[in-house]
Amino acid sequence: MDQIPDFWRTEVFHPLSVHFPIALLLIAFVFQLIALRYKRELWEVGGTVLLAVGVIGVWVAVYTGDLADGIVSRNLCDPTVLKEHENLAYVTAWLFTSALVVDLLKNYSGLIEGAKMNYLRILLVLLMGVGSGYLMYVGHLGATLVYQQAAGVYQPSADCNEFN
Amino acid sequence: MISKILKPVAVVCIFFLFIACGESTDVVDSGTYQGTISEVEAAKTEIYVETTDNKTLELYFTEETKLTQNDSTVAFSALQEGQKVEVQVEKVGKRLDPISVKILE
Repeated sequence: MDQIPDFWRTEVFHPLSVHFPIALLLIAFVFQLIALRYKRELWEVGGTVLLAVGVIGVWVAVYTGDLADGIVSRNLCDPTVLKEHENLAYVTAWLFTSALVVDLLKNYSGLIEGAKMNYLRILLVLLMGVGSGYLMYVGHLGATLVYQQAAGVYQPSADCNEFN
Repeated sequence: MISKILKPVAVVCIFFLFIACGESTDVVDSGTYQGTISEVEAAKTEIYVETTDNKTLELYFTEETKLTQNDSTVAFSALQEGQKVEVQVEKVGKRLDPISVKILE
């Protein structure tokens, strides 16, 4: 290749967008975990905001991942890793989406009060805990695609001539 | 009250998980296989083929893939779900490169 490819390639938008939901959703889980113990508005509202923004982010990441999939799959030596990454990303996204529904139900339905509220808090933390486990494993699979199979990565020529 | 709320939430969560699990794909040796197209992803020029021995092959067309019907070359848009096809694949690592896809009907 004579020229360095454009940086803003379709497959690059996925790594640009995945790190926000990873950070937001994991911190949201910590907030909700603390809220389970201390039940203070800071942790509950903060957890809800982080969860909501994280859920939007996770679906953006799923979308950009789908765009990248059509491009990088043809060059992978083991696309089954990508398939697992994709399938589990959907599981993760739905788990956090379900958690958001539970959280909104808990905060805004007005139907639940007193001790029963604790059941929803526990369900919320459970969904987010399982989701966080999936999120980390999906991230690990994504990292193996990049660092073991060079998914979406431009590989310079041996003589680096295109950089002259 | 709480069970009235939690039960539907649990059902919805399980439903989502079933939807989300997606399809798994198989890796087979290089060779020729017959099967049925279970999914066509036109934007990615990709098809899924269920072989007669219940394997699911995920095939991304390359520039070298030959697609034919009645011995004539046809465009990717000729592919539809449910069609019977014969595919010749080359296994590269764990990737299956389609060398040729023949529409049988």
